[in-house]
Amino acid sequence: MRFEGKTAIVTGGSRGIGRACVMRLAAEGAKVAFIYQSNQQAAESLVAELNLPEGRATALQADVRDLQRAHEIVDSLFDQWGQIDVLINSAGIVHDGLLGAMTQEQWRDVIDTNLGGTFNYCHAVTQPMMMKRRGSIVNLSSTAAEFAARGQVNYAASKGGINGLSRALAKELAPRGVRVNAIAPGMIETDMSQVVRGIAGDQIQKIIPLRRIGRPEEIAAAAAFLASDEASYLTGQVLRVDGGLSLGSH
Amino acid sequence: MPTKEEVFEKIRTALVEALGVDEEEVTPQATLVGDLGAESIDFLDIVFRLEKAFDIKIPRGELFPEDILTDATYVQDGKVTEAGIAELRKRMPFANLDAFAKNPAVQEFGSLLTVADMCRFVEGKVEVTD
Repeated sequence: MRFEGKTAIVTGGSRGIGRACVMRLAAEGAKVAFIYQSNQQAAESLVAELNLPEGRATALQADVRDLQRAHEIVDSLFDQWGQIDVLINSAGIVHDGLLGAMTQEQWRDVIDTNLGGTFNYCHAVTQPMMMKRRGSIVNLSSTAAEFAARGQVNYAASKGGINGLSRALAKELAPRGVRVNAIAPGMIETDMSQVVRGIAGDQIQKIIPLRRIGRPEEIAAAAAFLASDEASYLTGQVLRVDGGLSLGSH
Repeated sequence: MPTKEEVFEKIRTALVEALGVDEEEVTPQATLVGDLGAESIDFLDIVFRLEKAFDIKIPRGELFPEDILTDATYVQDGKVTEAGIAELRKRMPFANLDAFAKNPAVQEFGSLLTVADMCRFVEGKVEVTD
């Protein structure tokens, strides 16, 4: 039980990779609060599925783009728990389109949610973690940050930004005992990647060396490792968890 | 309502915990950067500890307005301009900026804030008795 007595916040926790992270951390003993934006039913169903004693798993509604709300949530959890050990920033959206046809709203939605949301929750946990001289932040990036995909300039920019943010913040916080890392998943079986998987069909599996789409639980396993004390000497890294996709097709 | 002595004691505790210094080093005259070795990131930690210790909110940049030092309208050739000094005086009424005004090199700015300045800053936020 690597997270016995530990506390964790997961954004985008009601679905996909975030949900898998919540389940993994809770299964390993953490007290978890997760943020969801709109799908109350999914959030409640996750809490019910976890079936933990009162206060061990909490669903909180928030728009991750709201910095003030991020601070309110983190401050309240810090007062309640006395420490914030882990933050996993998993909230993310796609709103694809070729640049020439992309609206400013499409651009802003994705940048503000993916990159802005990550900034907001990092901003909110920095002081509590620094004060306790410990903490681990894991930000969900994507292989799309480094490997080009048509129609994803907004998404790629947001994830590239997350990589930069993670490295710079790792350097800022390392002397205070706080680690910051990112995970770059490849093609994962989530609602968000459904459209791309649908268009690409079986072809996509052929370009992944492991010949299959990844599961959210496999990303959660990597996130739990980075968040745990087992990764105590690891900071400022972007870990690709992509079945070898980034190795190239030849 | 805390006394001035209690304010100092809480600030001393915050600085000991945030900077890992000995209690004896935290005197009213000690400068945060020069004597106690604070780095810019420590100010975040110090501010958070003060907020918790005194149950107050301290907006970013209020205790240590670093934004002025990175604003080209207030800094020229590595020195804070007269307008910058005026802005600093306005933003930091709790600090004595006279010595800094004589040699307003940006790199010297961190050395000016003392523990006594910090006490005055907190005293301006909470009601104190003698």
